[in-house]
Amino acid sequence: MASGELPARRGRPKIHGPDVSIEQTWADLANNIREIQNHNAMNLSFEENHRFAYNMVLHKHGEMLYNGVNQLVVENLQHLADSHIIPAFPSGASDETVQSQEAEMLLKALRHIWDDHTSNMVRLGQILKYMDRVYAKSAEVPEIWEAGLNLFLKHIIRPPIKEHLVAAILNQIHFERDGFVVNRSAIKGCVDVFLTLVDANGMTVYKRDLEPALLLESQSFYESEGLKLLQSCDASEYLRRVENQLEQEDSRTHHYLSHNTAPALRQILQDHLLTAHLNAVLSMENSGLDTMIDLNKTSDTARLYRLFTTVPTGLPCLKRALKDSIRRRGEVINQASSGIDGDGEKPVKSRPTSGAQTLALALKWVQDVLDLKDLFDKIWQEAFFCDRELESTLNEAFGSFINQNGRSSEFISLFIDDHLKRGLKGKTDIEVDIVLDKTITVFRYITEKDVFERYYKGHLAKRLLLGRSVSDDAEQGMLAKLKVECGYQFTQKLEGMFHDMKISEDTMKAYRVHLSQTMAPRIDISVIVMTSTFWPMAHSDSPCTLPSEMVTASKSFEQFYLSRHTGRRLTWQPSLGNADVRVAFKTGKHDLNVATFALVILLLFENQEADEFLTYEEIKQATSIADNELQRHLQSLACAKFKILKKHPQGREVNPTDSFSFNADFTSNLQKIKISTISSKVESGEERKETKDRIDEERKHQTEACIVRIMKSRKHMTHTDLVGEVIRQLGSRFQPNPLNIKKRIEGLIEREYLERCEDRKSYNYLVGFLT
Amino acid sequence: MADVEMTTSASDNDWVCVTSDDGYSFLVRRKVASASETMRDMLDTDGNYAEAITRTCPVHQRGVIVEKLLEYLSFKAHYETVELKDDIPVNEFLERIPPEIVLELLLVADYQNSALTQPGQVVLPSDYNAA
Repeated sequence: MASGELPARRGRPKIHGPDVSIEQTWADLANNIREIQNHNAMNLSFEENHRFAYNMVLHKHGEMLYNGVNQLVVENLQHLADSHIIPAFPSGASDETVQSQEAEMLLKALRHIWDDHTSNMVRLGQILKYMDRVYAKSAEVPEIWEAGLNLFLKHIIRPPIKEHLVAAILNQIHFERDGFVVNRSAIKGCVDVFLTLVDANGMTVYKRDLEPALLLESQSFYESEGLKLLQSCDASEYLRRVENQLEQEDSRTHHYLSHNTAPALRQILQDHLLTAHLNAVLSMENSGLDTMIDLNKTSDTARLYRLFTTVPTGLPCLKRALKDSIRRRGEVINQASSGIDGDGEKPVKSRPTSGAQTLALALKWVQDVLDLKDLFDKIWQEAFFCDRELESTLNEAFGSFINQNGRSSEFISLFIDDHLKRGLKGKTDIEVDIVLDKTITVFRYITEKDVFERYYKGHLAKRLLLGRSVSDDAEQGMLAKLKVECGYQFTQKLEGMFHDMKISEDTMKAYRVHLSQTMAPRIDISVIVMTSTFWPMAHSDSPCTLPSEMVTASKSFEQFYLSRHTGRRLTWQPSLGNADVRVAFKTGKHDLNVATFALVILLLFENQEADEFLTYEEIKQATSIADNELQRHLQSLACAKFKILKKHPQGREVNPTDSFSFNADFTSNLQKIKISTISSKVESGEERKETKDRIDEERKHQTEACIVRIMKSRKHMTHTDLVGEVIRQLGSRFQPNPLNIKKRIEGLIEREYLERCEDRKSYNYLVGFLT
Repeated sequence: MADVEMTTSASDNDWVCVTSDDGYSFLVRRKVASASETMRDMLDTDGNYAEAITRTCPVHQRGVIVEKLLEYLSFKAHYETVELKDDIPVNEFLERIPPEIVLELLLVADYQNSALTQPGQVVLPSDYNAA
């Protein structure tokens, strides 16, 4: 440089005035700045240029320097724009690939001139530091670096360059969304510039120009993308794509957009891909939620859950769909079992197989419900990540369809009965326990627990009396489970039954001892003494004329028992007993195990000749067994697998006009034969009505007791409070109807337990005051 | 200070040359020279001016001034990391400045923009200004 040769001790003259004119200094400096902008800094002396600027500022020419530098920067920027940006403007080609390439070029060009500009500005900033420090501060103008940014904003990020840049970025994003590979670093380069540049209002160019356009574009893109996907994909695929899109947008914002845009962008995706199509996806034919559940597509279901929970309306939608799905499945199960209802109306006894059939249907119902519950439990665990809200939805749905089936209590009890009776044969204790545990979960859904209790009691009684329950432990285990579910009260009577069984055992032992000391009757007798309030007395009055031997035996026990317990009354229930009898046929003797009634019938034939007949009427007269019982036992003796009696005419049904004879030709390779009584395991319509009446009666008492209990402690209560409290307290047993509660309250008022207060809205407890 | 081996940043630790108008040259660590903002920019490899390439910083002053400047820069670089201003023996340093070079020293300090940035801001230039 010509000016490089400075006089020695340069520092001194500058105080008194420049030894070179300011104009000359500026000319030299401007020249050097141009050189810097041409990337020739390495040939320039820093010290020299720094001193130029120093001198100019020192001699009060800061403004000239500042403006001059700005002017030079503007010129350079314009030059850069002309040489790099303008040529990179899109050519308007229609081919997408070409468009994308052009967009990339433009973005790269911008980044290029940005890099160029900033490195220039760094260098200028270094040599102009004294200007920044002294002049810029006092003149209140931005430092040169910032001025450089402002100039870039003003002269590069301007129409039409700005519009082209935004369009190019959008083009690249769109291109990538369509599944093509784009140069992310090129986009990032440009986006970073946009993020750095801040306009007069303190807003980045990114926020001001790019983001709104980007969001608008994304919105329309995903709006149509959503519809497109919905038409072309099944539900699983749709969700997979949506998840993919979400991930991609995330990675996009992460890699080359501002992370501040992420939430807004995500919102757009959720709005247009999820919220808008929630129901459409769930109910998509052959691939929606139902199909996913059917085909056990856990990962798809899990994805569905994941995505749905990201939008506020997703979970309610999913809940609704689940409820519908369960209800639909439940109705199918209910319908499959409702075949029983049709049969149930006819007398079941008339068709021997239907008992077994209906039992099978009942068992199938429970098994189906358990399977369904298993299925949804598994989905809930694996796909819904044990979501509490969904759990309650599932429970609600299960509860509603289980209670829709009016006989669910009976079925569940039958199912338990079936497992406690013979389930142990094929399965280990643990397996049975698991099944019973599951059954308890279904039991939990039943609102009318008292109905269940009644059935369970009946079934338990049969198991105990007939010695059919395989393991006492299993019985006790089940009882314990029920106790946990429903509390002490619920199982009190059931436990009483077990207690009776044990006492009876002891009594029998004592009786045997007693017999050994006295005259024993001809036949052996085993008695179970049942407390009448514990045991279901469905067969309360079944008269039967016993043969004299049996009368003797029972009298003997009666005497013994009453001598031990005075003041008790024994009522014989022959309909619940059974007997072992050895019968001589032509081919040999067989030990038969029959019901007590059947024995009574059989004994009529004891002294008959082989070809003699007894008519139905004769049998009835001799035994005085009620018609339905008699028919049942005759049927089991004459029409079942082992034909001990012959029926004339032959046939499956027993009619009052039939007659019977002893089948002496009976053969069997079994020595011991059990003649099982044909019984309707599932209740017939009539029986069910009776059960229902009993239950209604029981509920009346329970409701009244509950009201009195509450009133006794509260003394005074309003009607609504009382009804609410009653419903709450009885809820564990059944769902009381408020209307019935009202009736019971009125009944209690009539009986002067309660009185209505003057406000006619509340009651007083009376007994408490009287006593 | 110069003895401290700074293996982590070789560029802090390499030697640069500072020359005076009357032909003296001083070899100092880059760290010392960088205590002056002007010299730091001068040697900045990003800016990459001629001085950065040759690693030579001309200071247009007499040798005695440059020597005192470098003494101060060494002093500054050494005490830069001290947290308590009481620990910086500023007064001791001031006593070592001969009055006859004070004016020139003031000018060069302003030019080099090398005030102590520490809490112990008994900054040379402003101090002398006030005087």
